[in-house]
Amino acid sequence: MIIQSARHPLGSWKAVLRRAQQQQQFLLRTMATATTTTITNTSIPPPPPPSSKPKSGWVKSKKVKFHVIKSTVPGKPIRTAFAVYPRGHSARAINPEALKTFHAQQIKRLDKTGARTALFSKANPDAAKPGDVLQVTTNRGGEPFAGVCLSIRRAGVDTAILLRNQLTKIGVEMWYKVYSPTVTGIEIIWRRPKRARRARLTYMRKPKHDMGNVDHLVEAWRRTRNVFTSGKGAKAGQHLGRPGKHAKGKRGR
Amino acid sequence: MAPRLPARWATALTSTSSTTAAASQTLITPRQTLLLPRTAKRGVKYGWNTAPPRGKPTRFNQVTAGLPAPTTGPAAALARKAQSTPLRSGVLATKKGVSAMFTQKGRRIPCTILQMDQCEVVAVKTRAKNGYWAVQLGCGNKTAANTTAPLLGYYESTGLPPKQHLSEFRVRDQNGLLPVGIQMHPDWFKVGQFVDARSNSRGMGFAGGMKRHGFAGQEASHGNSKNHRTIGTTGPSQGGGSRVHPGKKMPGRMGNERVTIQNLRVLKVDNEMGIVVVNGHVAGPKGCVVKIADAIKKPPPVETFLDKAKRLLLERNKGHENRLRLAQQRHEHLKELRKEGRIAEAL
Repeated sequence: MIIQSARHPLGSWKAVLRRAQQQQQFLLRTMATATTTTITNTSIPPPPPPSSKPKSGWVKSKKVKFHVIKSTVPGKPIRTAFAVYPRGHSARAINPEALKTFHAQQIKRLDKTGARTALFSKANPDAAKPGDVLQVTTNRGGEPFAGVCLSIRRAGVDTAILLRNQLTKIGVEMWYKVYSPTVTGIEIIWRRPKRARRARLTYMRKPKHDMGNVDHLVEAWRRTRNVFTSGKGAKAGQHLGRPGKHAKGKRGR
Repeated sequence: MAPRLPARWATALTSTSSTTAAASQTLITPRQTLLLPRTAKRGVKYGWNTAPPRGKPTRFNQVTAGLPAPTTGPAAALARKAQSTPLRSGVLATKKGVSAMFTQKGRRIPCTILQMDQCEVVAVKTRAKNGYWAVQLGCGNKTAANTTAPLLGYYESTGLPPKQHLSEFRVRDQNGLLPVGIQMHPDWFKVGQFVDARSNSRGMGFAGGMKRHGFAGQEASHGNSKNHRTIGTTGPSQGGGSRVHPGKKMPGRMGNERVTIQNLRVLKVDNEMGIVVVNGHVAGPKGCVVKIADAIKKPPPVETFLDKAKRLLLERNKGHENRLRLAQQRHEHLKELRKEGRIAEAL
């Protein structure tokens, strides 16, 4: 065919077209391509001009790093690589201990003076400990409840104490949430002379170890308070609203 | 009858029309070649019909056939579930622990603290492409070394780092979809609204019938011998067909199954800490992933709040379209390089 066209270079434009068609067929024709495809080509808008190939600098960015997967094939060190984008704002990175922060927030709101925290703080040598007799005053009315502290359940703002007393010869145990707004005051009535060597004094429920009624301790404590303080302070005992004079002050009295 | 094929020379002309546009325009219109008669396509002899056009003539039972809308099939299923599908996407969070809050009056409210960490929209599922409307969210962070190559390519195309968890939230329609690449924050929820929390419960391992299903067990004495916690008989006798009925409760693996706790009230949201505090308890151990979404059995938050939340979300993620477009372009380019084995050039 080439020879033919060489013989008649412009003999027939049909021949030229035929050649072009054949060449295209060699390039494009597959089992699935019909020759009619060209008809539709006319309706399809021409493809956009090939955009200038972006340089590698365009792909690279200071923020975007590449994760390279290495290959064991000799002479081809890299199997493939992917762009890995930097991570965004992470609340966990800023606040890894969200629960602690939540506790701190709530305690700040409920215990403005810090008295409740100090009363049960492990760092405070004068803090209340299991085995001490405590008295809890609530705003629900009724008498304040006094009893020996069997355990302190430390859970941030949900911290609670378990008090045990005997009322009318019946053992009574009460849980109090230390930071509850209903608890208006916690006083140390009596300190155990020797510190308990257990954190939870469940054995004190047994008759052999039961303290029984603690009313005599409460009475004694009230009397000493009446001696040293007169007037207003003697009324209902020290409440948790007073800053800075929590455990220490009480002990002195 | 199929349309007549154009002559070869006409085909050749049209195929080279892009190079010789000026010349071809004189000869060829976009529809047909001038030198050939137009191929007839309509007419009674070609099967032209006077009946009204039908949407999909090959399908039967269509609405156009004058029949009622089908009650089965994908469209009917979506319509049926629309009422119980939330209007908008939920979020992914991690359970941090359980605590309590106190009201002004001193009432104690037990609550669960959930932290949202890098909760970002990875993809959207559409009715046209996927058959349903949904938002795919990812949370947490995963190193690229721990991510498979296919997923690395997936994240590359979204412009997001690899995510620790991926999860989908079905939404009612396209109004519930969110743009890809934006990060969600706790104030997506309104304090006081109700949410559903889905998570996997704590796995208990192989448990007996008493623990797993609450069976009563057997007595300690009265001649009982070594059968105190066994489940007893598993099926009826001869008259009842002596066999074990399907679904009989027996010992087996307990827990580590998805549990939905419905209608939990949102007590607190804190963007700075990234926490959502919900009333009550959520299944699963500390650190488990929790899907929080608007409650399906309560009315959704008011329209004004929904609009505000979405507006805030878009304001905080300014330029997300650009970032996504750039990421997609970069991904296309890198994909090409990977295919050709020239990826080393990009490094």
